[in-house]
Amino acid sequence: MKYSLLYLFISVPVYLSGQQDTIPIREIIITGRQIPAEIPGFKKTSVDSLFQNNYSHLSFAELLSESSPVYIKSYGYGGSATTSFRGAGASHTQVTWNGININSPMPGQSDFSILVPGMSDNIHLSYGGASIYTGSGGFGGSVNLENKPVWSEKAQFYLSTGTGSFGHYSGSVRFRTGNSHFQTVTRLFMNASENNFPYINDVAASEPVRETRKNSRFRQNSFLEELYYKKGSGTLSAMIWYQSASRNLPGSMLMAQSGSGEKQNDESFRSIVGYESGKGKINYYLKGAWLVTNLDYTNRIASINSENNTNTFALKGGLETKIKSSTTINVTFNDEYTIVASNNYKENIFRNSASVTLSAQRKTGNRFGTSFLLRGIIDGQSLLLPDFAAGIEYRIFAYKDHFLKTGFSRNSRIPSMNDRYWNPGGNSSLKNEYALQYEAGYKLSRPVTESFTADAEITVFSTLVRDMIQWQPGEYSYWTARNIGNVNASGAESVISLKYKYNKINARLNAGYSFTRSVSGKRDDVFHTNQMMYIPINQANSSLNISRGRIYFFWITDFTGKRYITVDNTGFLPGYVLNNIISGLKIDLRKTSVDLNLRINNLFNSDYQTIAYHPQPGRSYFVTISFQMN
Amino acid sequence: MRNLFLFIITSVFAISCIRINEPVVIDPVKLRVSPNGFFIVNEGNFGWGNGSLTYFSYDSVKTYNNFFEAVNKRPLGDVPYSMIVYGNYIYIVVNNSEKIEVIDRLSLESKATITGLISPRNIAVTGDHKAYVTSMYSDSLRILDLKTNKISGHINIKNSSEAVVVQGKKAFIANWIGGNEIFIVNTDTDQLIDSVEVGPEPESMVADKNGIIWVLCNGGWTRENFAELIGINHETNEVVKQFTFPSRMNSPLNLTRDSDGDTLFYIDEGIQCMNINSSVLPSSPFIDRGNKQFYRIGINPVNGNIVATDALDYQQNGYFMIYSGKGAFVSSHQAGIIPGNICFLVNPGHTTE
Repeated sequence: MKYSLLYLFISVPVYLSGQQDTIPIREIIITGRQIPAEIPGFKKTSVDSLFQNNYSHLSFAELLSESSPVYIKSYGYGGSATTSFRGAGASHTQVTWNGININSPMPGQSDFSILVPGMSDNIHLSYGGASIYTGSGGFGGSVNLENKPVWSEKAQFYLSTGTGSFGHYSGSVRFRTGNSHFQTVTRLFMNASENNFPYINDVAASEPVRETRKNSRFRQNSFLEELYYKKGSGTLSAMIWYQSASRNLPGSMLMAQSGSGEKQNDESFRSIVGYESGKGKINYYLKGAWLVTNLDYTNRIASINSENNTNTFALKGGLETKIKSSTTINVTFNDEYTIVASNNYKENIFRNSASVTLSAQRKTGNRFGTSFLLRGIIDGQSLLLPDFAAGIEYRIFAYKDHFLKTGFSRNSRIPSMNDRYWNPGGNSSLKNEYALQYEAGYKLSRPVTESFTADAEITVFSTLVRDMIQWQPGEYSYWTARNIGNVNASGAESVISLKYKYNKINARLNAGYSFTRSVSGKRDDVFHTNQMMYIPINQANSSLNISRGRIYFFWITDFTGKRYITVDNTGFLPGYVLNNIISGLKIDLRKTSVDLNLRINNLFNSDYQTIAYHPQPGRSYFVTISFQMN
Repeated sequence: MRNLFLFIITSVFAISCIRINEPVVIDPVKLRVSPNGFFIVNEGNFGWGNGSLTYFSYDSVKTYNNFFEAVNKRPLGDVPYSMIVYGNYIYIVVNNSEKIEVIDRLSLESKATITGLISPRNIAVTGDHKAYVTSMYSDSLRILDLKTNKISGHINIKNSSEAVVVQGKKAFIANWIGGNEIFIVNTDTDQLIDSVEVGPEPESMVADKNGIIWVLCNGGWTRENFAELIGINHETNEVVKQFTFPSRMNSPLNLTRDSDGDTLFYIDEGIQCMNINSSVLPSSPFIDRGNKQFYRIGINPVNGNIVATDALDYQQNGYFMIYSGKGAFVSSHQAGIIPGNICFLVNPGHTTE
């Protein structure tokens, strides 16, 4: 009770989350082991699970923009959102779900506004060349969603419901049960909002007008079922994931609020059946997946009714063997067969692409780590130039976690189905895009005192994208896809993480800054040095997370620098800073844990846009109450 | 002395009998553009809100870009498409913002914003303070009252509409996207009175000096039909001229004419020029395309200069070129993104040569 009162009186509390179900143990830094990098020479991170839990009612778009150097270009809450890793384009981000590519085959990208963080246990981000280990085409990087069983005899039921500003309400359920051989996990998620926030429109008429966002309602549902069966060292798994989203699409501030009645319905059904054998000298896995997407777009005034359906059958398998304890060799194959039926294509389209990958990691002693990958890809009848990656990582001082690393890779991307077959403008004779990527970095992890540790990493990178596909006006009155673009993206990313623990107080500060120069390079024999549109040169974010006992608090700051909105860089959107806070209280009632949580978005009511003339909401509130029963 | 007095009296009488245009009162403080030049409506990219207004002054031989925003401190809107000058005002049709901006013709200051339109495309004055506005995505024309700057009615033509030409008491309306008809509206009664079947997708129209309504049908983007140039007698509403382009790959656009009304111009792999009495389509361009993406053309009604816009890659700022009436290159200037329709504001006697 005293904690409840404390929570009520301190609207901006300065404490955070005690995990009552965890046993505190003293932190031990082991430094005499092999280098810890999963892929020596490359950068791969995971989203902090605490952070992920607090974004379970939001989308990936919010999660990534506030916790990573990934830039999110969004039409606003519920509106479509695409990513840019390291200055690359939206179609250069691969998204995988348990190793299976789930990018929509039509545009070749994912809408991060309808992906829900709560549908996966872990979220891994692979930057630049690291993404090639999960699949090709992620010149910028990849987002990898992972579901993993917990082999526990205990059942767990989690229920969370929330409501907030602008008619926003959501609910989620997770139920986990099983034993040491069988596990099942069920997840449900529902999210809806009127999204009718007020804003000042100072561009549509002579005098600024206070308007309310209209035609921006959205609703989404998600259901995921996981089944695992373990016998000996093998695990059989089956998962299905259904997701639907219905969204009204508001126009820009330059359009009349009556709108055009634009609406989009997305529906996806994903299923994976797999078998994995582990813990032996030779491990292997085999997965089969069936992925279905439906996207219907309607524009009442323009009489557009676009209906798009895709079916993808994927088969993926891998074999891993260890030579002594220092070298791991992997061979994987992947085949994707896609069928697209769209009233924007002349006919139903079938495509098959397959790849075979050989990769190896060698960790010599406790100082050296190297990685190597070679991949052959067959697209239809064509054998592509092979992709490859090579990296090396070196521990600078024996027994201390200071690492230098560098990696180089060649990555290729098969044109999306829309690039090839959209009618009009699709170009079936497009070449593949490819990128040459280089990166180098320094990483450290060290205990400063017994209760204080620091981790830091800085990476410089360069990505040269060639034969980039761009849609441009052709000889007729419509746009066509062509291999005409080059993009040279380079920059630096830095991140620091400080952890402090004293008695019941846990504090963690994560801060990151990225500098990205992304220019269109040489085109038509002219070298262009203008920054690519909608790629911020400077971006930073930080999160301060403090907990004491059952009270927790997050302060999240996200800075996005100036973004140019014209090719010649004469027009731009100014930079902005967003501050969000999350505070909460956990109460234990026998076997049930209750979590009361308040989130304030855009604390200082910043006026900002991520896409020109598309307003974003000011300060908003969201309250959740969650129950977890063990 | 008596003769001198008579001379003055008769002179005053004679002068008073000459009909002259109402003099434009120029407020030197408000004057922002020389009254000798032309506007270019830069469409910008659909949905990006980067359309703008360019003005080229013959007097200073200077180009003023982004003029609307500079004066009114706000963007012009999403896809400004066409404009006309009527009286002391300029009416700019902003397609995807579904509005018409009314600005002073000299100060360019905003006077009104007409809303309530659906995907407006072109505007034509059809009577005293009355105009029709065509619509890409609605079945009707909007009637504007240019005194009040309000919508005063609509005319249901049951089809979308694009180009509009007024000849006498008739307005000829082209049904462009997926259509093949010209609708004829009586401008006194605002009633649909007739329609004429033409080729696929009539994109642009002009009336020549004989009152023939020339219709450029671009054949449609699927390239399944041949483009056609068709002449309609405005009195009988009958097709009196018909030319078929030689290849399905011909995709002509933006038909316009000179001030005398006896020469037609359009874009088709360069700028084509054709006398209205010609029995064949031109076989070679009047101005070669070169490496340009010609997008719109306009003919100076005073000196016959040809102004052509080049949209480049449709993403960066485009250019406009001025050619002499004989097709010789005069100068090139930068405009905004996707420089489109051209609207002249010229006095006789001014040239750029």
